Amino acid sequence: MTTAARFDEIVHAPNRLQICAILSAVSSAEFATVREGLGVADSVLSKHVRVLHEAGYLDVHKSTSASRVRTSLSLTRAGRAAYDGHLAALRAIVTNEAFDASAHHAAMPN
Amino acid sequence: MESHESPDRAPAEVAPGEAASAISAIGGSRSWLADRIIAPCWYHLAFGLLAGGVIAEAEIRSWTLFAWSVAAYTVGCGALGWWNQRRVGVAMKYFDARTRAVFAGHVLALSALIAFACWLGLDRGAHGAFLAAGVLAVPLTVVAGRWTDNLLRARLQAGQ
Repeated sequence: MTTAARFDEIVHAPNRLQICAILSAVSSAEFATVREGLGVADSVLSKHVRVLHEAGYLDVHKSTSASRVRTSLSLTRAGRAAYDGHLAALRAIVTNEAFDASAHHAAMPN
Repeated sequence: MESHESPDRAPAEVAPGEAASAISAIGGSRSWLADRIIAPCWYHLAFGLLAGGVIAEAEIRSWTLFAWSVAAYTVGCGALGWWNQRRVGVAMKYFDARTRAVFAGHVLALSALIAFACWLGLDRGAHGAFLAAGVLAVPLTVVAGRWTDNLLRARLQAGQ
């Protein structure tokens, strides 16, 4: 099944795109793991998580284990659809440019 | 540090170079995740030693000891799995058609090894059959584990 290309400005911000890329490959990931993947501070990741959560793209689960609170993140169905659509849109932009460039090159006189 | 916060920017306004670097960043995140899920080299060896230990222990022909070794195997596998889950920090769907095939092949190979050791050791009275089967189970488990890791890595890098 092909995903319809849909550019999503919420997903497109670099850090949020990376968060979605990591979470789209797994069922859920711990906050600390995603922070490590992005190489950002807790506060920066929290800000992006809040934006995605408010957009309905991200679920935040908190669980207590050995008196420590562990936070895990997962993409919602809407979040996966938005990420897949955005990725398809990015690919379409790159592909169209490649097509345009080759067409332009072919039209150039030798 | 956000550079693209305009809420109603059209896709046409995104330069192809910007789109390409965004796709490249996605690939980088996927590669990082793929590298992260690869278990350390001793991980599959530990599983192999646990499986090999249970099989080799049958050479002693003590049901009590066998029951204890099966219990140790179960607890050991559970502890290793739990530790690895904590180390990786993600929950993911490990089984797809390929990894399921490797797992089934591994279980079948171990079962055949045990059946052959039973035939040799119990039926034909050969000494050392279970010990040899236990030793063979170690590399078999390591190969299956590394193979599964590589399949998972390829799946993650492909973005599936």
